[in-house]
Amino acid sequence: MDTDTGHDFERDLNLQDLLLGIDKQRLATALQALLGAPIAIFDPRGACLLGASEPTNDIPGLPLYGELEPIGTIAAAVPQDRLKAAADLLKLLLHTNARYLMASDLHLQTQQDDFDELQRRHNALEQSEQRYKALAENLELRVKQQVQTIEQTQLKLYEAEKLASVGRLAAGIAHEINNPIGFIRSNLTTATSYLASLDKIGALLPTCQDIAALKTAWQREDMDFIRQDMRDILAESISGTERIAAIVKDLKGFSRVDETEWEEADLNVLIRQVCNVAAAELRGKAELQLDLGALPLLHCHPGELGQVFLSILLNAADAMGAQGSIRWRTAFQDNRIVIEVRDTGRGIAEADMPHIFDPFFTTKEVGKGMGLGLSVSRNIVQAHGGELTIASRPNTGTRVTISLPVKPGS
Amino acid sequence: MAIFDEENNRLSIKLVYYGPAQSGKTTNLMRLHDILRPDLKGDIMLMETANDRTLFFDLLPLGFKAPSGLLIKFKLYTVPGQVVHDSTRKAVLSRADGVVFVADSQRTQSTNNGEAFANLEDNAARVGIDFDRLPLVVQFNKRDLSDILTEAEVLQRWQAAPWPVLFSSALTGEGVVETFHALLNRVYDGLDREFEFQNRHLLSREAFAAQASGQIDRQAY
Ligand SMILES: Nc1nc2c(ncn2[C@@H]2O[C@H](COP(=O)(O)OP(=O)(O)OP(=O)(O)O)[C@@H](O)[C@H]2O)c(=O)[nH]1
Ligand SMILES: [Mg+2]
Repeated sequence: MDTDTGHDFERDLNLQDLLLGIDKQRLATALQALLGAPIAIFDPRGACLLGASEPTNDIPGLPLYGELEPIGTIAAAVPQDRLKAAADLLKLLLHTNARYLMASDLHLQTQQDDFDELQRRHNALEQSEQRYKALAENLELRVKQQVQTIEQTQLKLYEAEKLASVGRLAAGIAHEINNPIGFIRSNLTTATSYLASLDKIGALLPTCQDIAALKTAWQREDMDFIRQDMRDILAESISGTERIAAIVKDLKGFSRVDETEWEEADLNVLIRQVCNVAAAELRGKAELQLDLGALPLLHCHPGELGQVFLSILLNAADAMGAQGSIRWRTAFQDNRIVIEVRDTGRGIAEADMPHIFDPFFTTKEVGKGMGLGLSVSRNIVQAHGGELTIASRPNTGTRVTISLPVKPGS
Repeated sequence: MAIFDEENNRLSIKLVYYGPAQSGKTTNLMRLHDILRPDLKGDIMLMETANDRTLFFDLLPLGFKAPSGLLIKFKLYTVPGQVVHDSTRKAVLSRADGVVFVADSQRTQSTNNGEAFANLEDNAARVGIDFDRLPLVVQFNKRDLSDILTEAEVLQRWQAAPWPVLFSSALTGEGVVETFHALLNRVYDGLDREFEFQNRHLLSREAFAAQASGQIDRQAY
C-alpha cells in the first residue's frame, strides 16, 4: 500500500496534535478572561496541556470531544453552562485545526505519492533507456559484422561468377584453338612427308652424273606440286598461329580482371575482344552485329568493364529462343560514351522488372550460372561514374544501355 | 480494511462516496448528517471551494457501541469528483471497507458516470483493493430532475452487474439513508467473518445497520 510515506491524513489526532500551531498562552488568557477564572486543559492521561494546575476533584471539568470520543478535559471553577460554552468554543477551534491538519497531511501524502510515482517512472524510463542504448550499441556492432559477412560473401560470389562465366567460355575457346592446331599439325605431318621426297632427290646428288636423272627423280616425286603445296600449307599454318595468338590476346583482356590499375582503354577494342571470346558460345544461337562508332579512350578499369560486357552478352545469348540477333552500338555524344546492346530474345517478365537489380536475383536455373548479376554490373558501371539502364518487352527483346562520362583531360 | 484498536476496544470502518464531479456525494453526506441519529455523531468536516466543489474530501464520523462493548466507528468520506484531483481520490479511497458510487441520473452525464466508474476500478487496483470483493452499491442521484434516465433504463444497463442499484434525490434526502443501509448490509458479511460480529459481539446484521443509522424506530427487528 502506498500510504506508508510518513503522512497519513487518517491518523488519530490527539489533543496535543490539535493544539499545534495555536498560541496556547493567548488561548488560555482569552478563555480565562471570558470565564473570569483560571482554566486548565488535560489530556486523557491527566497531563496538563494548558493552564497550570493538576486535575483536582474540587474543580469541575468537562470532556473535550475529538471526532467522536473524548480526547481530554477542560476544567475551571465556573458554572456548568459557562464551562460548556468554553468547551464548545474550544471544540470549534480544534475542529478547524483538525481540518487544516488533515488537509495538509493529505496534501503531503499525495505529493509524496506523486513524487514517488514520478521517481518510479523516471527510474523505469532510465532503465529502459539504458537497455535501448545497450541494444543499439550491440545492434550497430552486429550490423557491422553482418555487412562485413555480406561483403565477403558478395566478393566470393563475384569471383565465383567471374570464373563460371569464363569457364563457360573455355570449351568454346578450346575448340577455337584446337581447330587451327589441328590443321597446323596435319600440315606439319604433310611437310614431314614432303621432306622424305626431298631426301630421295638429295640422296641422288653425290653419285648422279647427269642432270636428266635428277629431272626424272624431280618429276617422280612431283616436286613442282610439293613446292606449291608447301607454300600454301605454311601460309595456312602461319595464319593458324596468328588466329591462336589473337585468341590468346583477347583472353588476356580477361586475365587482367584482378589488376586493380586504371588505364586508358578503347572500349570498342574491349567489346570486340569480348565478342571474340564468346563467339563459340553464340554460334548457332545469335547473330552478332557490331555497329561501333569512334570513341575516345576512357580512363577505366578494363578488366571489370570487360566482365560487365561479357555478362550482358551471355545474358542476351541465354535469352534467345530461336535464332536471333544481338546488336552492339557505341557512340560518343555529349561527352559520354554510350553503349547499347539490343537482343531479340524473350525479354524480361513485367513481374521481374522491379527485382532485376536486386543482389542475387536470377531467373535462371540453379547451376546454370547467373553471370555477374545485374546488380554487380550496375555497381561496376556506377563506380565509373556511369549509369546502366534496362528496357525490356516480353517476347520482343531487351535493351541494355550503359552511359559512361568521359572526364575532360583524361 | 477495518482497523481494530485493541487498546481502545474500537473498530474503525471506512466508507467512501465515489463518483463523477457534481453528482451529489457531498450532498449525500450532508443529508446523512442531518438525518441519522446514531449514538455518536461527530461534526461533519466539509472541504469545499467557493463553488461547492470538494477540494480534498468531506468527512462524517459516526459511531455506536455493540452489545459486547466494542465501539464501532464509521468514517464516511467523499472524494473530489473533478478529474484533476485523481491523486487525492486515490489516497481517500485507500483502505476503504465499502464504496457508494454516486452516479448522476441526467442523460448528459452518462459518459462522466462511465469514466468515473472506470476510474474507481483503476484506483482500487492501484491502492491494492480487490475490486471484485469490494462491498459496493450504486446510487443514481438527482431523480428529481427532468431529462434523466428512467429507472427501467438504468436497471437494464446495470442488469448484469452484481451491485445493488438505488435511486435518490440527495437534495431532498430521499433514498440517501436507503443507500447507506444497502452499503452497511454489504459491508456486514466481511466484518462478521473477520471480527465475529454475530458470535462475539452479539451484533446482528439488522442491528448493525439500525444502530449505525440510528433508525432503530423505523427498523422492525
Ligand atoms: N436537483 C438535484 N440537485 C442535486 C442533487 N444532489 C446534489 N445536487 C446538486 O448538485 C450540485 C453538486 O452537488 P455536490 O454534492 O456538491 O456534488 P459532489 O459530488 O460532491 O461534487 P464534487 O465535490 O465536485 O465531486 C449541488 O449544487 C447540489 O445541490 C439532487 O438529488 N437533485
Ligand atoms: Mg463534493
